[in-house]
Amino acid sequence: MSPLAIIFLIIGIPALIGLAYIFVRGSAGLRRYILTRIGLLIPMVFILASLVFFVMRVLPGDPVRSSLGPKGSAETVARMREQLGLDDPLIVQYGNFLVDIVTLDFGNSLTGGRRPIVDEMSERFPATLELVIPAAAFALAIGIIGGTLAAARRKRPLDYALRLYSVAIYSIPVFWLGLMGQLVFGVRLGWTPIAGRIDPVIGTTLERTTNILWLDAIISGNWPALWSSLSHLVLPVVTLGLILSGVFLRLTRVNVIETLQMDYIGAARARGIRERIVIGGHALKNAIIPVITLLGLQVAILLAGAVLTETVFSWPGMGQYLVQRISSRDYTAVQSVITMFAMLVALISLAVDIIYSLVDPRVRY
Amino acid sequence: MKRWISVVAVLVLVLAACTGGTTEDTTATTAGDTTVPETTEGDTTSTTAAETPDTTGAPAGEADGTIIIGTTDTIASLDPADAYAIHDWELLKNINEGLLRWTPGELELTTGLATDMPEVSEDGLVYTLTMREGVQFSDGTELTAEVYAEQLNRLLTIGPDCPNGVANALATPFLESVEAVDSSTIQFTLSRPVAYFPQLLATAAYLPAHPDTFPAEECVTFPEAPVHGTGPWYITEYTQGEQTVLEPNPNYNGELTPQVDRIIIRYLSDPQTMALAVQNGDIDIAWRILGPELVGELEGAEGLSVGAIDGGSIRYLILNYAIEPMDDINVRKAVAAAIDRDEIVDVVYGGQVEPLYSMVPPGFIGETQAFDDMYQSPDLDAARAFLAESGYDENNPVELELWYPPEHYGASTADWMQLIEQQLEATGVIDVTLQPQEWSTYVTALTGGEAYAGGVLGWFFDFPDSSNYLEPFVFNGGLGTMVTSPEGEPINDQAAQLVDLLNEASVELDEDARAGLYEEIQELYADLVVTLPILFEVEHVVPRDGVSGSDQFASPETLNIGPNLEFYYSVLSEN
Amino acid sequence: MNLPLQEQETPVPQWEEELAKVGFVRRLLRARKWYGADWWFVAISSVMVLGFIVVALFPQWFAPYGPHEQDGPRFLAPGDQPDLPLLIVRADSGFTSLEDLATGPDSEVSRPPIAVVRGAPTAGSLREQAALIDDELQDADTGMRLRPNIQRFDTVEEVLQSVQDGESFAAVMSSVQFEEVADQFPDLEAPTDISGGVASAGDFTLGTNQIGQDVLSRLIWGTRIALIIGFSSSLVALFLGVPLGLVAGYAGGKVDRIMTVFMDSLYAFPGLILAIAITAVLGPSVLNVIIAIAVLYIPTYYRIVRGQTLSVKQEVYVEAARSIGAKAGTILRRYIYPNVIPSVSIIFSVNIADAIITGAGLSFLGLGLPPSTADWGIDIARGQEFIQNAWWLVTFPGLAIMLVVLAFTMLGEGLTEILNPKLRDR
Repeated sequence: MSPLAIIFLIIGIPALIGLAYIFVRGSAGLRRYILTRIGLLIPMVFILASLVFFVMRVLPGDPVRSSLGPKGSAETVARMREQLGLDDPLIVQYGNFLVDIVTLDFGNSLTGGRRPIVDEMSERFPATLELVIPAAAFALAIGIIGGTLAAARRKRPLDYALRLYSVAIYSIPVFWLGLMGQLVFGVRLGWTPIAGRIDPVIGTTLERTTNILWLDAIISGNWPALWSSLSHLVLPVVTLGLILSGVFLRLTRVNVIETLQMDYIGAARARGIRERIVIGGHALKNAIIPVITLLGLQVAILLAGAVLTETVFSWPGMGQYLVQRISSRDYTAVQSVITMFAMLVALISLAVDIIYSLVDPRVRY
Repeated sequence: MKRWISVVAVLVLVLAACTGGTTEDTTATTAGDTTVPETTEGDTTSTTAAETPDTTGAPAGEADGTIIIGTTDTIASLDPADAYAIHDWELLKNINEGLLRWTPGELELTTGLATDMPEVSEDGLVYTLTMREGVQFSDGTELTAEVYAEQLNRLLTIGPDCPNGVANALATPFLESVEAVDSSTIQFTLSRPVAYFPQLLATAAYLPAHPDTFPAEECVTFPEAPVHGTGPWYITEYTQGEQTVLEPNPNYNGELTPQVDRIIIRYLSDPQTMALAVQNGDIDIAWRILGPELVGELEGAEGLSVGAIDGGSIRYLILNYAIEPMDDINVRKAVAAAIDRDEIVDVVYGGQVEPLYSMVPPGFIGETQAFDDMYQSPDLDAARAFLAESGYDENNPVELELWYPPEHYGASTADWMQLIEQQLEATGVIDVTLQPQEWSTYVTALTGGEAYAGGVLGWFFDFPDSSNYLEPFVFNGGLGTMVTSPEGEPINDQAAQLVDLLNEASVELDEDARAGLYEEIQELYADLVVTLPILFEVEHVVPRDGVSGSDQFASPETLNIGPNLEFYYSVLSEN
Repeated sequence: MNLPLQEQETPVPQWEEELAKVGFVRRLLRARKWYGADWWFVAISSVMVLGFIVVALFPQWFAPYGPHEQDGPRFLAPGDQPDLPLLIVRADSGFTSLEDLATGPDSEVSRPPIAVVRGAPTAGSLREQAALIDDELQDADTGMRLRPNIQRFDTVEEVLQSVQDGESFAAVMSSVQFEEVADQFPDLEAPTDISGGVASAGDFTLGTNQIGQDVLSRLIWGTRIALIIGFSSSLVALFLGVPLGLVAGYAGGKVDRIMTVFMDSLYAFPGLILAIAITAVLGPSVLNVIIAIAVLYIPTYYRIVRGQTLSVKQEVYVEAARSIGAKAGTILRRYIYPNVIPSVSIIFSVNIADAIITGAGLSFLGLGLPPSTADWGIDIARGQEFIQNAWWLVTFPGLAIMLVVLAFTMLGEGLTEILNPKLRDR
């Protein structure tokens, strides 16, 4: 079974079970809300996918020409276009496209050897996940800790320093930070490798099941591969994570400040509870909720940052794939990737919304 | 509640079944066109061929005589009737021996499976060759002339429909039929006389394809391993994006006997990785597409040596006779006189390429320095004089639009074009506007001959012969030069003369006479400024110390790879 | 995605109430006492922003070279001097300068072979000096020309050997390189240096790039395009997003719901990817980049303005105005619009910062701008190839981006705290 399917199962099964549970146990209002959101999801994805379909067709440039170059005779080009159905009327192509989406048939890429796109995604989607999830976790960790500290020491030097940090780090272009990291830690100090997911030689010894390399290494007990893939992960994850940490830091800070102004905090202080517990125990718990739910919004930034990070580190993920495929006018590949992104973003924001609606008692439906 | 969960579970399983597909065949990523781009977009992918037991390759240089060659290319096709890319041809020529082949290290044809050079009929239309006895594929299948001829017919039958279309370039324009006269004699009948047909016979298109693996009715771009052939090697396994493993063919009875026990081709994602890998010893040889900066780095490195090969890949400007201002011969000559090749070579390529003064690169028959003799550029005064003849001066400059593809030939293309812009504008009488355009649109527009006044293009020969560097730019629209119309009408008398000379040279069988004709042709070519040759690329091969070529053949320091960039793995040995 | 707004319940300090009564600008200046460090945030960043704007408007005052001039040797490190190139000949050849190598119609060789080390910057000096001499000779009309046939060798030794063997008439290499091995080649001497053409290192403060362009000049010229993109796209987004937000917030109902769903999807989608798609469609030009980035930020203005409109709409004085029959346009203009301005101006500032970074990201990926533009993102993308040997190509443009973006962001952040501390951080 392809790695893509495995990942979908790992995430999908618990998610669906959880969803079903919530649905059954929740109030009528909640049920309506969930159904509405799911209902909205489908047209949203369709609209976006169709948009991409037409945009790509409007693009000047011909994928067949792109791969054949000047040596391809006009007859060869014409024949291949016909084989690929590129000369069919637009309506016909669109019809096929819609059918394909519904049956989840992503087709074959137009250039690049006509590989089934599912295969290419199977390799690249886990690569992006491998990068993006630890980066988000890293950013959250720094952001929450930093934001809490800043809120606790409001209007004092530490606060200003941390606010300056959050603003400054967001001002740094992620690709530049990555390059500097490569320069200092990779080239000058030689501590980390500078490109790729894993050493190319070791990579051939690794058996891929999920295509998340460190996971596969653990599964197959391939310790050199584990070390290599982890060491390749360090720079990209830290780069992406640092950039995002600024956003989370600001969010946490504001939320903690607001929470600290709540009455029940005052009450806790009046009861003589130590400040540290007040902040860490009471304030933080309530402040984090909006932060984590806003993580859903940040997915967009995360994915955008991932595109750039992947390009800098030659990380073979979906972002790098997208950029490559756009320049060779590979319609099917680009459509599939963007549709995939759209579905991802929609699903995550749906999940986040549902969790938020459950968790925040003030929200009524 | 419980019913709910089972419904959900069923849905999930259905979903999983839909999205989980297994891949059966080995599939490829693009190899691009056959011009050598400076950077390749290699995808590191890993799908296995159906029969390979596992994907572990031997680590570098294990003591049982394995040599690992690194490349940034990918496999696009292993079907001789289809394959049209450098790496594909390299593999095919090592696992197959054809009727004729090249002597390693030089531009000299020699016999392969044939016992002698071909017999040519009086009218130049029939070529007859005799095969040597006892030729077998690596799995023991015998290759008789009948089998060979039948497989060669694929070039005419299904070849034109295969995705990479080599048959359309190297077979159908010339070949009418192939047949076996008896069990060891093959006869080729041409549709018109072609002096370089022997060179064509040495290309990968005319290699014997195994009758079982490559049936007559279809193209098989990715056959299942092991891939058998008549050559010194055969492919035991291959994995796209990872490696290809070759081992000696036990049934080979030719001259190029293997010296080692195994060759592994390792596919790397980019030139930097390849450079690192050869420095670390992860690979034994780095081959092609390194780029000037990396070459400079490797030259200073320990434990390896850098060999430079004057390769057949060239870069030039296409100037369109059908579009202003390039319809004016004076403007064309002015551009030819203003260009400074040395500056481009040094500034953009760090001196890692060589200036090219005629479309035919050094080493090929009849080569000259026609453009240098005629224009002695950079000569700004001469350029201004040409332009003055057409009434252009500082107050009335020539408006010239130059187009280029910003990514296809590497990011340095933009630098290139800026340099040319400055060189032309230094005359004070030319105003250049640079127009970037995405590759596929660009190449269609440029070679179509209707849109662009001028553009940059690269070229690598289809077969190593001077005709292949001249004819494509003259005949049938000339890939955008419009020296002749797409239907073949020459635009003026000089162009008509050029066409006649080219036709004459292509059927002239006497070597010296042919060389003389090509010299004349190049002079005429330069006078017409059909295209403007700028530079030719130097390919690099970087072997680690301990890996060497053979002293039997020319240029062992570049592993016996000559100007036709043919790499015969059999010359490699370890010490 | 609709998050319910949370209510704020802090009492408003006395001084804030007083300040609220004064005008915008006076408020800022008087606020120094009350706002402390935040005021300094704003002040410093405003000065920086003004500075950048001036540089962007008049780069020619600040940059020593034009954006495309490639006058220098390749890959000159910041603070390095270009090597002094020597002309090296056989002592018995009788050549004492480059001019001696000129050839005419009765010379044996029409192009004197001169050897250089492959890729060495001294080859540039040779070419430039030879070109100068060639021009002079052509003007003098003597039929003489100097057109060296440049022979490139991989090592210093090979170069000198070819002169020694007589293969090359002369060689050009740096004095440093020659001195290292001079004693191995006793027959050779260096009668003169070739100093024409190459400017002194003082003129290349931050070094040069892969084709000899001055890094500092390209940095300065890059400011122009960065700010153009930043300002233009933000303005376009503002002029489209604000009216849409006003309409949606005021009209409510179905119009509001449809537009909001659309804007929310746009907002939630990864912006860079959308921008990539748009620039790919439209092609590489400044205008298209502006359009692509503007599209990304319209939802931001829309949401803020809509939210503000919604809350102002519920104020008592607005209801009062409606009950006496004021037209929608009047209400929007008189009551809602002024309340919206402060937030919009904050967003504008941060928006410019974001637009500059997104623009840099686009050009880094090679999309959007024509590759010969003097742009920071493009310079970083090219510099990445040479990161091992020429760190300055990547470092300085990135610093420039960071400083400009920081200035605008700080301005916006500081203004946020000052103008409306009640305003929720996004």
